[in-house]
Amino acid sequence: MRTLTRFFSINLLFLATLVCASAAQAPRDTIIEAILAKDKARKIELIGSLVGESDEAIKPLLTAWKEDGLFVYQTPEGSVSILVMLAGEKDANDAQAALRIDNGQPLLDAAGKPVHLVGGDLTAVEHDAELRGAMKNVLDLLALATPDVVKRIQAIQAVGFSQDVEKIPALEKRLALETDSGARKSLREALAVTRLKASDADKLTAFNELKDLHSLSSYDLIRTAMRDAEKAGKPELAEAGAHALKAIDLHRTKINFFGTLFRGLSLGSILLIVAIGLAITFGLMGVINMAHGEMIAVGAYTTYLVENIFGTGITIPFFGFSLPIPGIHATGWFYQTYFMVALPLSFLTAALVGIALERSIIRFLYRRPLESLLATWGVSLLLQQALKLMFGSNNVQVSSPSYLSGNWTIDDITFGWNRIFVIGFAGLIVFGVWLILTKTSLGLLIRSVMQNRNMASCMGVRTERVNMLTFGLGSGLAGLAGAFISQIGNVGPSLGQNYIVDCFMTVVVGGVGNLAGTIYSALGIGLVDQSLQQILLNPVLGKILVLVAIILFLQWKPSGLFVTRSRNLDD
Amino acid sequence: MLKVNQLMTAGALALGALASSVHAEDTVKVGVLHSLSGTMAISETSLRDVLLFTFDEINAKGGVLGKKIEPVVVDGASNWPLFAEKAKQLLEQDKVAVTFGCWTSVSRKSVLPVYEKNNGLLFYPVQYEGQEESQNVFYTAEAVNQQATPAIDYLLKQGYTKFYLIGTDYVYPQTTNLVLLEYLLSKGVALENIGGGFKKDDSGKIISAGKYTPFGHTDYQQIVAEIKQFSAGGKTAVVSTLNGDTNVPFFKEYAAAGLTADTAPVVSFSISEDEFRGLPAKQLVGQLGCWTYFQSIKSPANKAFVARFKKWLKTTTVPGIVKEDRVTCSPMVLSYDGVYLWKAAVEKAGSFDVDKVRAALKSGLSFDGPGGKVTTQPNMHLTKNVFIGETTAKGQFKILEEFKDVYGEPWLLGKFKAK
Repeated sequence: MRTLTRFFSINLLFLATLVCASAAQAPRDTIIEAILAKDKARKIELIGSLVGESDEAIKPLLTAWKEDGLFVYQTPEGSVSILVMLAGEKDANDAQAALRIDNGQPLLDAAGKPVHLVGGDLTAVEHDAELRGAMKNVLDLLALATPDVVKRIQAIQAVGFSQDVEKIPALEKRLALETDSGARKSLREALAVTRLKASDADKLTAFNELKDLHSLSSYDLIRTAMRDAEKAGKPELAEAGAHALKAIDLHRTKINFFGTLFRGLSLGSILLIVAIGLAITFGLMGVINMAHGEMIAVGAYTTYLVENIFGTGITIPFFGFSLPIPGIHATGWFYQTYFMVALPLSFLTAALVGIALERSIIRFLYRRPLESLLATWGVSLLLQQALKLMFGSNNVQVSSPSYLSGNWTIDDITFGWNRIFVIGFAGLIVFGVWLILTKTSLGLLIRSVMQNRNMASCMGVRTERVNMLTFGLGSGLAGLAGAFISQIGNVGPSLGQNYIVDCFMTVVVGGVGNLAGTIYSALGIGLVDQSLQQILLNPVLGKILVLVAIILFLQWKPSGLFVTRSRNLDD
Repeated sequence: MLKVNQLMTAGALALGALASSVHAEDTVKVGVLHSLSGTMAISETSLRDVLLFTFDEINAKGGVLGKKIEPVVVDGASNWPLFAEKAKQLLEQDKVAVTFGCWTSVSRKSVLPVYEKNNGLLFYPVQYEGQEESQNVFYTAEAVNQQATPAIDYLLKQGYTKFYLIGTDYVYPQTTNLVLLEYLLSKGVALENIGGGFKKDDSGKIISAGKYTPFGHTDYQQIVAEIKQFSAGGKTAVVSTLNGDTNVPFFKEYAAAGLTADTAPVVSFSISEDEFRGLPAKQLVGQLGCWTYFQSIKSPANKAFVARFKKWLKTTTVPGIVKEDRVTCSPMVLSYDGVYLWKAAVEKAGSFDVDKVRAALKSGLSFDGPGGKVTTQPNMHLTKNVFIGETTAKGQFKILEEFKDVYGEPWLLGKFKAK
């Protein structure tokens, strides 16, 4: 077993070294040259030249050197000296596998077998405090050259915010090598922040640089440096600092303004998506549909099911039985497309549930709106309980596809992909609904039946069928909304309850019976809500003020933003 | 018709007599007061389950003082006044010897007068805000210094310099964050490095620290944007007392904004293994938790406990118990410990009398539970180990640090003075 693990570790090391050996030989050679150099100043110079390099060999070699892990090995046959490092587990004789420093590969004996050596028998490569200091400097800054950009930026920030003036040369060197624009920006910022601790001239350049960079993160440090300058009686320097702060404040205002606009738009789009179905069933058809929220939940659960079918399958407590649903074990991008499949399925499922509801209950209640309120409320409770029995009363997890979990950051303003998607999709849905209502014969029939059911019926329109399809369309749109809600919030049996009030609010403010009104009111409520949150810095107070504003608004305009005028005697 | 009625009455009487004759001498009634319906049911049902398991385990070994435990399970239905009514029923009608129950602080506060009036005894198992020390409640729960302040200690040690406080708007997060504010200031963290905002009264004293959202809040865009700006200027940790399902939209928004456990970790005090069953665990990987028990504790005692509980779940015939994908978590283990501590106290006192049992509890009893040794304190709290863990993709915690035998201290407001 032991030999087996050792075999493995050697193999792994071998693979690892193979990968990096081809990438760059230079740092290895530099280290060997440094080891062999006679003159200490030359050694330090050579080690120093490694600062800012990103070769993977540097870290293990220098760490080993510092800790007496590099050795000079004399081959048994001749007088050839080979520099080696020992790695892997020690065997029974305390021997470890030897790796050649020049290429990182296992040292082979004449028979071509890996050589195992005991550290104590060999001469370790020497080092002293000055050399160790130079090596530590290289190792400290090695992180600045991490291949992963995100980690590199983190390391750059960590070095910068430690404000260690001695690190300036290293940062400068890295800046000269750096190609990634994000990392370059971080380096400039880190350099400037560090220079806040250096000479007055440097401070001045640093203030100006940070002003140009609009560096949000260095705000506190600039303020400290500015106050120090004030105390030291250097008005010019303090003024430069104040300018930098002002520029950053301005930048922050800009971020907040556009950020709020975007967040308002995204909240408005969500309101729009959840409410547009209700704008049809309640607005156009006049059914006070309290089960609208459950249609959203049906859509969300459909997405959940589709996700699991694309994945590993799932067992649901279906009305007390364990119902196993097999999965197709999709991976990679194919798995990620589940959401695209879930969208139409959510629409269809919710539309079918809606049609069933219309056929079984609502069609008897078209002339009795208050009773339809009670009946649909009952249906909503029934559906909630059914969802509980089918999927359990706990919330379920829906994981977002990778293209919906990320963001674009433009000039420090964050645009979440899921939010952009929601905004775009809200536009698409509105466009689609507009197309259906105005450009198709079904739309024509819908509009005629909604305007005057009796007259349309007299003209030979099959109003029953149109009612059914319209209700199905409204419910289907709610199902689509559910698919989106599953990407940003909870999916649970009571999901619909959280949205039903918002839905009615949006439709009523927009003006019952008017789709355009719903659009304006959704975006308006979203923007006002987010702006108030930004100004008041309090999510609850913002929401309360929005509700108060809506109550006052409806006092002033009881029929909402847009009044639908009709010649219908019923109205 | 008359005959049938008579028959039924007679039958019922006979059954009743039979039942009482079986139960009268060799059982002791114990109350279980949790929400089995309503919003809290998701969390509290697990506590009912673990309590029934514990009773079965004790009964199988001969019961308490030779008497079998007879559970009286009532449903508080997430309705706080109903909790008080049910407590009254347990104490005055069923005459239970002890009650195990309550989750939210508001339910505890509403049953408190009932227990004090009837001199009952309630074991309370869920982390709470402190500022309370009733003689009729034994708090197996984590006090603030057994969860929140150790977490801050850990973060300070990791080099975090800025802290953003966020929570759900009710008594536990509000009080905890006020204690944390004082604690952070006493550790030399500047006021401007504590985020979330402050509310001050007329005299300028801070009466509320941190950002609060209502139960069921869904839109965290603005708050996450604020955290992102706050975290730009230094190593930042978010201290979250967000409750229940609001964590889902919060963490989804957090991930979408590009904030991760590497850049700004969130330490949550209300997410245990049980809550993970309804959360997207993958998006929470690396975020921190702090409890006095984790299922991942590698002691033989814990492994045996988890195995016994899972075995019991398979065999139990109690209706309505979810059998799949069950986990154990700190409130469950503290419920379990509570039953055994009560048993130990009863056996020490030699009686079920509440006053005698209380005296025994105050004398410092110990029990080796799944989370390690716990010891009762004179102030009706519990000394126990505290663990910091980071979450894994499987909805478990990887333990990072352990604080041994932390003394439960309920009175913390005003204790920590700024330097």
